[in-house]
Amino acid sequence: MAKFDHDVVIIGSGASGGMAAYVLAQAGVKCLMLEAGPMVDFTRHRSLKAVYDLPFRGFGEPGRFPHITQASEFDANLWIDEKKNPYSHPENDPYYWVRIRLLGGKTLRWGRASWRLSDYEFKCKDHDGWGENWPISLADLAPFYDRVEPLIRVSGRNEGWAQMPDGKLLADESVDSLSIQRFNASARKLGVPTTKPRRATGTLASSVNLLLPVAQATGNLTIVPNAIVRELGVDPKTGLVNAVHYIDRRSRREYTVPAKVLLLGASTLESARLLLNSKSRQFPTGLANTSGVLGRYLFDQFYVKNTVTALVPEARGGKGPRNLMGGAGYVPRFTNLKPGKPEKNYLRGWAWDFGSGGTPSPDLFPQWGAELAQTMADVQGAGFAMTTMGESLPRYEHRITIHPTLRDDWGIPAPHIEQRYTENEHNMAKDAMETGVALCQGAGFEVLAAHAQMVPPGESIHELGTCRMGADPKKSVLNAYNQAHDVRNLFVLDGGAFPSGGVQNPTLTIMALTMRASEYLMEQKKQGKI
Amino acid sequence: MNRRRLLQTIAASPALLPAQQVNPSPDESAVLKADSPDAAGEPVRRFFSPAQFATLGALAERIAPSIGGRPGAKEAEAAAFLDFLLASSPRSRQGLYQRGLDSLDRAARARYQKGFAELGGAEADALLAPLKTKWTYTAPADPQAAFLRAAKADILRATANSRAAAEANAAGRRRATGLNPYWHVID
Ligand SMILES: Cc1cc2nc3c(=O)[nH]c(=O)nc-3n(C[C@H](O)[C@H](O)[C@H](O)COP(=O)(O)OP(=O)(O)OC[C@H]3O[C@@H](n4cnc5c(N)ncnc54)[C@H](O)[C@@H]3O)c2cc1C
Repeated sequence: MAKFDHDVVIIGSGASGGMAAYVLAQAGVKCLMLEAGPMVDFTRHRSLKAVYDLPFRGFGEPGRFPHITQASEFDANLWIDEKKNPYSHPENDPYYWVRIRLLGGKTLRWGRASWRLSDYEFKCKDHDGWGENWPISLADLAPFYDRVEPLIRVSGRNEGWAQMPDGKLLADESVDSLSIQRFNASARKLGVPTTKPRRATGTLASSVNLLLPVAQATGNLTIVPNAIVRELGVDPKTGLVNAVHYIDRRSRREYTVPAKVLLLGASTLESARLLLNSKSRQFPTGLANTSGVLGRYLFDQFYVKNTVTALVPEARGGKGPRNLMGGAGYVPRFTNLKPGKPEKNYLRGWAWDFGSGGTPSPDLFPQWGAELAQTMADVQGAGFAMTTMGESLPRYEHRITIHPTLRDDWGIPAPHIEQRYTENEHNMAKDAMETGVALCQGAGFEVLAAHAQMVPPGESIHELGTCRMGADPKKSVLNAYNQAHDVRNLFVLDGGAFPSGGVQNPTLTIMALTMRASEYLMEQKKQGKI
Repeated sequence: MNRRRLLQTIAASPALLPAQQVNPSPDESAVLKADSPDAAGEPVRRFFSPAQFATLGALAERIAPSIGGRPGAKEAEAAAFLDFLLASSPRSRQGLYQRGLDSLDRAARARYQKGFAELGGAEADALLAPLKTKWTYTAPADPQAAFLRAAKADILRATANSRAAAEANAAGRRRATGLNPYWHVID
């Protein structure tokens, strides 16, 4: 017997789960949200501290986060406990799985960069013959992007470029600093487009402040934190999902709740893990996996952090006009945009984030002592840095499987994750570095360091694929509405659905897809199909 | 009591402050000021041998000397902090430091017939030459260069993040507060 009379169960409360609740609860659908982590109280859980007052002086407890390089000693308690939540990867192919297990998920920490995908991604196979097209095009998703952008208040500049579709943005009319103007001019000379950053405004712009409060105010959303979903049950007669089995994180007590419709938004790898852990007579290799591709085609975007670090010479010693330094910008993908054979020794392309006004790391200067101190005073605020974000190709052999013996602290089988960057990504990273150096030199900057070493897969926190959508049920897990081909009352809303991902940070697209899938679900219910 | 603590104590001494009226309530708790364990006692060395610790202290002073009255590694007690940090660091990191410090001391004895901690500035600097190699993304292949690069970064950070540096910043009004949002355990 269910204690709630809910219409849908939503698993996860981040970008995807939060958006599903936002749409459905406002439309009168009774939602039960199960979230593995606890609720954050911003007044009780956060206070101001000086770095010297932290036990490890800001270095962080050694070994606490083998894979989460983003964690600092200030925010260590926000990230998942890696010991209680283990996973494995091949010894020589590290995978850095970055997780937050709290109400709001990773949106509590996201950088809010928000770019639309274009038909270069949706119809990538038509463009260069590699991979699979999405079963939708930009025209299908544009109306939803149009609604999500104002909701999370994305600011930026529309440029009318096909690879960077225009959006419903808060216009960023700010004047670029002189150093950014110089960089932009250097880029223009080489035919490289530059624009303003595009990001959701506000310091949080998260599920917990923009989505869940609105959903809960309708009276149609019940949020249950500390509920770790272990497995999904299937009705042997219909093959539909009919139950959710979860564990109380703190007491470890087990519960079951019935499900009429299940919306899965536990994030790419957790959703795939849950489906793979949900085996039944109908689905012996995992729920909704008659195609055999569940867990496969895992990919992300590769990052080369600070691929170029440079100095603006006129800013040394704090000299130069006040508007010389500061600000940021973005270069969208600009390679291989012409159809047919690629112009480069790789497919697809990369983007850059760049910023002016930082202070380069002392590591970069071959000095110490008074000489280094002098240099650091001289270069303070005179830095210019670029980070590359490149498209990585989804490959069949890159996948998540269930480890035969490893379990998490609650006894749930843990995943094994395999992904590595291949020649295509490495060639791209090298080209990005060389082009970046040329642009900085063209702007008259002094290049301090350049490299093409990408961070391990996963570290970009843009993990995608594993439940890819597609037109052909034999080659994909989901249809064009994030609905499982095999199980019509199951929707996977997170980044798992992506068949390809371009270079754009994925969360805006995750939210737009979720909005679209949620409205499709209501339509299907109305028509009695679910 | 060391000098630092003495100064702190004098600065905070109630005798030097205007008397404040406090009316304790029998029903409500009060907000009391407190300090961290690091502010009270001398840290106990746990990891490096006395010889390694002396070498590290001397190295730290070469990397981050006190300049223009601003605290350096010595005032920041960077070596003592690194002793604590290294005690709980992964084995590979511990080995990097131990081998690096031993070899620095050996090189000093071979070249100058005295330990690294006893060298003059120019002598010590000659042994830090591997720090002059151009920066690469991956750690240098030469173990001594790799050690010196790691130690340089750690010493600078331990110095910059110290209470001494924060107090100097506050005095020079370099940063308003030096405070950042800290997240407590969430359960
Ligand atoms: C530091 C940082 C910076 C980022 N910057 C950007 C950016 O600039 N732009 C961008 O587009 N993206 C960015 N991202 C990524 C972005 O946060 C994610 O793409 C987005 O949050 C994904 O949404 P999601 O719903 O799939 O997963 P999440 O937001 O992670 O939410 C998943 C939720 O499901 C819960 N869950 C997991 N397993 C279970 C289970 N078994 N049972 C119940 N609940 C479960 C989790 O606890 C979590 O709360 C960033 C992320 C981080 C951490």
